Amino acid sequence: MAQALTDAKQQVGLCSVCFHLSADPVCDICRDNRRDNRTLCVVSDSRDVIAIEKTREFKGKYHVLGGLISPMDGIGPEQLTIGQLVHRVNKESIDEVILAISPSIEGDTTTLYIGQLVKPFTRVTRIAFGLPMGGDLEYADEVTLARALEGRRELE
Amino acid sequence: MFLEHLQLQQFRNYQAQGIYFQAPKTILLGDNAQGKTNLLEAVELLATLKSHRASRDRDLVQDGQTVGQIQAVVQRQLGAAQLTLRLQKSGRRTAIINGETLRRQQDFLGTLNAVQFSSLDLDLVRGGPGERRTWVDTLLTQLEPVYAYILQQYNQALRQRNALIRQQTADLDESPPQPDITQLALWDAQLAALGTRVIRRRGRVIERLVPIAQAWHREISGHTEQLDICYQPNVAVEQDEPTVIQQHFLEKIQKRAIAEYYQRTTLVGPHRDDIAFSINQTPARQYGSQGQQRTLVLALKLAELKLIEEVVSEPPLLLLDDVLAELDLKRQNQLLDAIQDRFQTLITTTHLGSFDAKWLASSQILTVQSGKISANDRNQADILKHSG
Repeated sequence: MAQALTDAKQQVGLCSVCFHLSADPVCDICRDNRRDNRTLCVVSDSRDVIAIEKTREFKGKYHVLGGLISPMDGIGPEQLTIGQLVHRVNKESIDEVILAISPSIEGDTTTLYIGQLVKPFTRVTRIAFGLPMGGDLEYADEVTLARALEGRRELE
Repeated sequence: MFLEHLQLQQFRNYQAQGIYFQAPKTILLGDNAQGKTNLLEAVELLATLKSHRASRDRDLVQDGQTVGQIQAVVQRQLGAAQLTLRLQKSGRRTAIINGETLRRQQDFLGTLNAVQFSSLDLDLVRGGPGERRTWVDTLLTQLEPVYAYILQQYNQALRQRNALIRQQTADLDESPPQPDITQLALWDAQLAALGTRVIRRRGRVIERLVPIAQAWHREISGHTEQLDICYQPNVAVEQDEPTVIQQHFLEKIQKRAIAEYYQRTTLVGPHRDDIAFSINQTPARQYGSQGQQRTLVLALKLAELKLIEEVVSEPPLLLLDDVLAELDLKRQNQLLDAIQDRFQTLITTTHLGSFDAKWLASSQILTVQSGKISANDRNQADILKHSG
C-alpha cells in the first residue's frame, strides 16, 4: 500500500495537452484517436473529467483548468491553464467549446472570462443547470428552480 | 406555530436541558448571567441560523466540549416538525429536519419563525447603518429564505472583488499597476447582478412593512406622531426594473473607480445601504427622545410580527429579551393587546415586579439558574398575590 502511494505520487503528472492527471506525458484520452478532436469540454478539476467519463456520453476531448478564478485565494487567470486553452482553440480546429463549470460565484466568473476569450474563435456553450432526474418540481429549492428557469429551452 | 419542546445539549452554559412550553407566554426568570438569553439565542438560531451575539460557532458550544446541539419540536398547521441543529467548535454545522439531514442549510429556514426584541434593538435607531441592514436582512431571511442564499452570494462576490482590487493596487508605489480590466469587469457584472437582487428585495420588504409599522406607531403614540421609514439604497432605484438598476449600478462603479482605487475597497453596492427613520419629519436618530425611540422600535417589532404572520400565514414566536420591564405599563398593555394569545412569547426578566397582572395570569414561569431551568410555582403564587 505504502509502495503504491509512493509510486502514484512519483508517476502521476499532468497531461501536457489537457492537464488531466496522467502517468504519461500525454494522457489516454488525448491519445485516443477514436475520440472527437473538434469538441472540447472545459472543466475546473480532474475529478470533473472522471465524473463525465463515467457517463460514457461524451466523446470529445477535455481541458482541465486546474481551479477557478478566485482573487481571495490569489488565483487569477494566469494561475490556471486559460492561456493554454486559448492557444489550443486558436491552433487546433475546434468546432465547439463546452464549459462544464459549477454554477458558483467563482465558477460563473471563470465561465464568463473564458467565454469572452474563446468566443472569437469558435462556438462556446455552457452546460445546463436545473432539476435532477426523477426530481419532483414541487420539492426543488428556489435557487435550483430559478437556474432551471433561466436556462429554459424551446420545445422541440 | 407553537414551540412545544426545546432540548439544549452542551449549548452555551446548558449541559443537558429539556423544556416543555405549556402556555402562550413563558417568563424566564433569573439573575443576570444565568442563561436566560442563551435560551432565546437557541430559538433565534433555529429561526435564522444566526445569532446576533456570536459570529462563530465556537462561542456557542459549551466550554470544554466540541459539539453542541439544539433540538426543537414545533407545531405548525401542517403538523409537527422536529428541528435539530448540531454545532461544532470547528464551525461545521449539521441541520436536520424530521430526521433528514439537509444538504443545504438554507433549507432549514422557514420552519420556525421568530421576532426578537431586546434592549439592544434601540441600536436600530441610534446605531450605524450596519445595524439596520442586519435587521432588514434577518427579516427578509425569514420571509424569503432564498434571500439568505442571494445575500451570501453577493457577499462572496464582494469579497472576491475587494481581493482583486487590493491585488491590483498592492504594488502601487513600485511598478505601474496593470489592472486586469477584463477580470474586474466580470466581478463588476456579478456584483451588479447579485446586488440588484439584494436591493430589490430590501426595497420590497420595507415597502410592505411601512404601512403596518405606521399604523402601530400611530396607535402607540396616541395618534400624535407620524412615523416615516425610507429605504436609502446606495445605488438609487428610480425604476423597479432589474436591468435599469444594474445599469445604474455599473455606471456608479465607473464613477467611483478612482476613489475605489485609492481606498482599495468596493464603494458601491447594497453593503452601503441605509434605512432612515423619522418622526414628524425629524430624523429619529438625532432628535428622537428615548421614549420616542422606544415607541419606534416597538412599532417596528409589532410590524415584523404582523408581516411574518401575513406572509407565512402562521403567527411567529416573539422573543422579548429584557425589554418588557423597560416599557411603561401603558406600552406593556399595548403589546399584550397586540399579541394576545396568538403569538407564542418567550420573555426573560430578572424580576417580576414590574409586570402587569394580566401578563402574569397567562404565563408559565420558569426559573433559570446557572444553566438549569425549573418550574417555579411558589414564585408564581407569590407574584400573583403581590400584584393582586
